[in-house]
Amino acid sequence: MKTTFRGGVHPKDGKEYARDVSFETHLPSGEVVLLLSQHIGKPAQPVVAKGDEVKMGQLVGKADGFVSANIYSSVSGTVKAVEPRKNAFGKKVPAVIVESDGQFTPAEGIGAARNPKSMSRQEILDAVGWAGIVGMGGAGFPTQVKLMPREPDKIEYIIANGAECEPYITCDDQLMRSFPDEIAGGMEILLSLFPQAKGVVLIEENKPEAINAMKRACAKIKGLSVWPVHTKYPQGGERSVITVVTGKHLRLGQLPADVGCIVDNVSTVRAIYRAVTKTEPLYERPFTVSGDAVANPKNLFIKLGTSFGELLQYAGGVKEGATLKKALSGGPMMGIAMADLDVPVQKNNGAMTVLAEDPAEKAFHQMTACLKCGRCNRTCPLGLTPQMMSLAAERRDYEQYEKLFGLDCVTCGSCTFACPAKRPLMQVFMQTKSEIMAIKKGGGK
Amino acid sequence: MATIVRKETLLNVSTSPHVRSSLSTRRVMLDVIISLLPAAVLGVVNLGVPALMVIAASIVAAVASEVVFCVVTKRKQTAGDLSAVVTGLLLALCLPASVPLYIPVLGAVFAILFVKCFFGGLGKNIMNPALVGRCFLLIAFGAAMTSYSINGVTSATPLAMVNAGETVELLDVFLGRTSGCIGNSALGLLIGGAYLLLRRGITWEIPVISILSFALFVGIFGAGGFDPVNLGIQVCGGGILLGSIFMATDPVTCPVTSGGQMIFGLLVGVLAGLFRVKGTAADSVSYAIIMSNMLVPFIDMLMIPKPYAYRAKKEKSGFPKAALVLAVIALVSGLALSALYTMTKENIAAQQLAAKEASYREVCPTAQSFDAEALQAKVDALDGQIYGGGAFGKAYINEAIVGKDSSGNDAGYVISATSGDGYKGNVTMSVGIAPDGTITGLAYTQINESPGLGMECDKPAFKDQFAGLSGSVALTKDGGGINQVSGATFSSRATTNAVSAALDFYAQNIAK
Repeated sequence: MKTTFRGGVHPKDGKEYARDVSFETHLPSGEVVLLLSQHIGKPAQPVVAKGDEVKMGQLVGKADGFVSANIYSSVSGTVKAVEPRKNAFGKKVPAVIVESDGQFTPAEGIGAARNPKSMSRQEILDAVGWAGIVGMGGAGFPTQVKLMPREPDKIEYIIANGAECEPYITCDDQLMRSFPDEIAGGMEILLSLFPQAKGVVLIEENKPEAINAMKRACAKIKGLSVWPVHTKYPQGGERSVITVVTGKHLRLGQLPADVGCIVDNVSTVRAIYRAVTKTEPLYERPFTVSGDAVANPKNLFIKLGTSFGELLQYAGGVKEGATLKKALSGGPMMGIAMADLDVPVQKNNGAMTVLAEDPAEKAFHQMTACLKCGRCNRTCPLGLTPQMMSLAAERRDYEQYEKLFGLDCVTCGSCTFACPAKRPLMQVFMQTKSEIMAIKKGGGK
Repeated sequence: MATIVRKETLLNVSTSPHVRSSLSTRRVMLDVIISLLPAAVLGVVNLGVPALMVIAASIVAAVASEVVFCVVTKRKQTAGDLSAVVTGLLLALCLPASVPLYIPVLGAVFAILFVKCFFGGLGKNIMNPALVGRCFLLIAFGAAMTSYSINGVTSATPLAMVNAGETVELLDVFLGRTSGCIGNSALGLLIGGAYLLLRRGITWEIPVISILSFALFVGIFGAGGFDPVNLGIQVCGGGILLGSIFMATDPVTCPVTSGGQMIFGLLVGVLAGLFRVKGTAADSVSYAIIMSNMLVPFIDMLMIPKPYAYRAKKEKSGFPKAALVLAVIALVSGLALSALYTMTKENIAAQQLAAKEASYREVCPTAQSFDAEALQAKVDALDGQIYGGGAFGKAYINEAIVGKDSSGNDAGYVISATSGDGYKGNVTMSVGIAPDGTITGLAYTQINESPGLGMECDKPAFKDQFAGLSGSVALTKDGGGINQVSGATFSSRATTNAVSAALDFYAQNIAK
């Protein structure tokens, strides 16, 4: 049994801020902004209009096509507007804005108990699709699509990803410690869809309490076990997870199902459990507010659509003596830096990291020429050669960049983290990838 | 008019990752400096203050050149990255401690400006600056660069002693207690190498493979074979440790992939072995690394590894066909070089002979032909010892030639004499002596004295004083009649010593 993958880095994990802080539930005051595009695929179509009364758990956006997802109101109140609002990237996307009445009255039928053992395969898939569940680890890929692979018989592993490898973030850890039975229950449901598959809960060694809790919960379920792995970034990346479990590496364009795997974040697995057994759509999620600039780091259950700014206030705001320099949706390795905090949390946002220092800014001033030291090549979890890719990218030699498999890069940032010359490797790769994709699209015409 | 609304404070935005490792270019360089300290300290302990002075001069000159270059060309000051300190220190460690201080200074300036800055600065140079600096010094100041001394006493390096058939204690070589470069203590270098490996400043491929392949090559093709002591001295005594651990691994000028580094290590090891066995011992490693540096872009091109997902199951990373191809290229080019050397060696010898004959004619103008055989037995009888038991300083008689006139009678004699008392080692000359014992002429065949002073000896004003003299000669300073070249007492005295020795040889062996 493998316990790690080749490459990767060891950033300071900062988990001490919030790892032992128990969950609290945060209830938003005022408005929530329900973006209609919180997933990969087409935005949902709004099914409410300004002035409509909505309940908590009521559908406000309907999935538009196969790869899309339903959007539910996370509060009860009045629809204030249906208009574009800013997401974490600063891009305006369509949204339904609901003014909360402070009551959190659930919609009819929400919370009704169901027994998955008496449900058919299709009923379970429909329940997951109905609930609007998407990959909550960050990808935002609609989960029911993932659960319908072309060759279901070839699925060997269902993997619950509890390798929360981003620094600072601790909500998955807390979730496994607090709700191990719900996660194990979710896995039981998934295993019932793929009877020939083995169930694995993959957890990094720096979460011993979670490992123990999950081991106890998994013992009750046949074919489900806990798989402890070394603590290393990006262990939580889907490709690293698959490599550890199967020994296989995904190529560009391959899906986990192509190598017999379905990987879901533990939060997603719990959401599946609650959707199926409690008829609960996805309008709430676990969330960590942490970082070296926050007064009281917290693990929270938050209502989707709450603004990052409100969550920071709830966590005591900026720590005394610190200045807020940078706020990230997500963790520091792959998170998105936000220019301001008037941005709503969406389904695939698991954390907010607030930093008093901006190491990226410091790195910019420390940048030197490439030393060709090769650390980037050694840290790449895919076995790419960032040093050569960056040379090709910097001189816009797209042909060479593709030959170096540069399009395979998953932008995990390990190379950029490790680079002593502080070269902007990943930045160049992201830009080059999108330029090449644009050329390819344009070339078809 | 529309007003632009701006939030009072916008937060920093950038692409991820938003954290970076604590490792910086400066820290990488600092690690190299730390790793070189054991060797530097042992060098200073073994060789004393002059070693410290050479190290200091080299580092100061290296840093100063980079600072000045950045100021003059109005570039961002880059000396703070400490890479110039590394170059200066590395250069000093491969110099003898006895060199005059302008040598490390010139070498460091050359290394930083010509090899690094002019190519675009850190990361852009194609060869290791310190090594090219050393090679520049070897070419420009050959004598000083290969004269090693400990506490003022000149002695041969362990490799030279082994070549001459003498015995050397391996332990002394290991600890660097023999004559050689400042950084020649194998112990210090190995400690530093281990540190660097631990800090991941270098990878194992280049040092391990180059040292092993070097030892293998020297073992197979060298005179000493696989005798452990000899092999130990070959590995510890020359530059292979310093070169393969610290210079061949310079990331800027070595291949970036593991497979490429293996090929590169092999190339360095084999070439260094070849140059050691077939070439001159002093520079085998330097030239091997520089030549290998030139192949790095090609190696990098050949050795692009496939991502894990695209590797065939059985295909192991590391040693594919390309390695073999390059190893063959290395061997062929090395053999071609040594063949070239062998061929030109005869040419060089012929040219040296012609030069000799010309000098015979110059000092013995009445002769038509020369007979080198007649007096050879007399010269051989001297057995290469100092002539006259020290009466003429460190003088040697090399040859004695009889000049014949057209009818076959002795027209004069040419005696080649060397004095080891020059300012920079040996001064060799041909002394022409008439049958009556008077000097007919004087010509230097090897003189390497200070320009402007010692080299003034080779001008008529000094040389012509000897014509017509006989018996023995001396400087006015020493109670004789020869006016010395001002400021070049050593060179002048070496000349009178050698001439006196030649006259004495004439008196003892030729005069009737």
